[in-house]
Amino acid sequence: MALTICLSIAAVLFGIGLYGVISQTNLVMIMMGVELMLAAAMLNLVAFWRLLHPHTYALQLFVLVVMTVMALEAAVGFALATQRFRSRGSVEVEEAADLKENA
Amino acid sequence: MTPLQLLFLGVFGLAAIWFGWRVFRTKSMVRSALSLLAAMVALGGMFLALDAEFLGVLQIMMMAGEMSIMAFFMMMYMMDPGGMSSMNMTHQQRPAAAVGIGAGVLVLALALLTPWPPAQALAPSATQQNHDLGIELMTRSMMIFETAGTSILVAMIAAVATALAYPQQPD
Amino acid sequence: MENPLTLLVVLLLFGGGVYALAVLEYWSVAGQLAWGRPARLVLHLLLKEEIRPRQSDTVLYETAPVLFLAAAALAAAVLPWSADAPLLGLATGALFVNAAFAYVMVAMLMGGWAVNGVYAMLGGWRFLGQLIAYSMPLVMALTATVMRAESMLPARIVTSQLELWNIVYQPIGFGLFYLAALALAFLPPFDFPVAAGELAGGVWAEFTGARLLLFRLGRLLLIMTLALTVTVFFLGGWQGPWLPGFAWTFLKTLLVAASFFGVGRYLPRLRYDQMLEWSWKYATPAALVNILWVGILLLL
Repeated sequence: MALTICLSIAAVLFGIGLYGVISQTNLVMIMMGVELMLAAAMLNLVAFWRLLHPHTYALQLFVLVVMTVMALEAAVGFALATQRFRSRGSVEVEEAADLKENA
Repeated sequence: MTPLQLLFLGVFGLAAIWFGWRVFRTKSMVRSALSLLAAMVALGGMFLALDAEFLGVLQIMMMAGEMSIMAFFMMMYMMDPGGMSSMNMTHQQRPAAAVGIGAGVLVLALALLTPWPPAQALAPSATQQNHDLGIELMTRSMMIFETAGTSILVAMIAAVATALAYPQQPD
Repeated sequence: MENPLTLLVVLLLFGGGVYALAVLEYWSVAGQLAWGRPARLVLHLLLKEEIRPRQSDTVLYETAPVLFLAAAALAAAVLPWSADAPLLGLATGALFVNAAFAYVMVAMLMGGWAVNGVYAMLGGWRFLGQLIAYSMPLVMALTATVMRAESMLPARIVTSQLELWNIVYQPIGFGLFYLAALALAFLPPFDFPVAAGELAGGVWAEFTGARLLLFRLGRLLLIMTLALTVTVFFLGGWQGPWLPGFAWTFLKTLLVAASFFGVGRYLPRLRYDQMLEWSWKYATPAALVNILWVGILLLL
């Protein structure tokens, strides 16, 4: 029962995050979508730890690693946004076509 | 799991979904960053309801800083961070909705159709968890944890190197 | 708490302490002790007309003052006053205190954004930079005390100081935590988010009436909580001769809080960039040295 609740909520959050990543045009908003998807993964991991293997601490460690990944993603993403904003004055992905070859 | 825990799981979960949905449904960018923070805090509440006290508190603590910084960058790099004019910030709405719903339904179906083993009734106490997680970090999983630390260092260097201002090149 | 009477006494003491801090706050600005002033101020703010800025963000505007107060109160709830359990016994108490303090920043940022004013917004973003810089020494200093107690339970951290208080055992950590606490409560040497001199009140500039009251009460509660944190983590908590435990906690807490205001009265305000630079360049490495120092002491 609890496992079903957690997994369904995580599935919905994952769907919302994916929708956000695809539909938003701003780099920072896209990062928010990614964070939401990672958060859904974390919820799954915690649910698996608690309800299936409460004595396997590698699962809790995995959650810590996912949190690290979230922080890394934010740091590198903001660095890219900063550089983009410096050189092009905008972080819209619609205006990033110059990243493509011969555009 | 006690009925109270189940109730908290459901309430926090619905709150997380609601705030997660609000992130992409508001014009004000600071609002959407703070909505994401609220969704993350609701997830932290779910972790607490799942007896993972350390992870829950850690989640609640880390996300406060991360989402505030996100709000700050939003404000710096957006033309209309307050959402005062009605600027459209989205594209390819239909495919995005289709992919989002499709992936969500697929994951949901997987979650519901898999024959999960029966749930364990008891978890170790919070003090025991803190102790055992520490032992795990310092023995079997030390290498993984060290790698996480090193990758933070690498990301810090990479982020600073990427964000540095170079002198303007003549076109 | 086991005993409801002790709980009542502790709550009354806490309220009295907050009132005394309100008097001291005025002293740190005006240099005189006006004992009746806080009560008059409360009435004044409650009866005052509410002025709402144009196009303010209603949800954030209403949430910010309440969140500010709640964050400070939640941090206080996990800290023990005496050898009985605290209000909220958490196995991760030391971490929870940090988490609650992080929401002080979120509340200030929300308030600064919600009122749709330039000064308030600048104050909010300033506090973001300030708190992120100073939460590093704050968290690392607490980590070193946790290392010594081998537990994140605040009560265990107090009992780990039976032989020697942490202020002597890890003086660097104490100094860093003290400074970071000043920065977190934006007390005068660090009062950038509400700087009266340059930002005309900063985040609080546009809040009036009961909401301003919540903010100011929340700040006093925050100072009290930070002083309590210093007491529990560095000054041996409830330990002391003759008096009962909670009396010692109260005395130490009040003394630390009074010293916060004393520092504010006699130190000049820093420059914002220098303040950030000192935290990142000197305080954070010093906090790492402190952790190393405690580690070496523990292994000896």
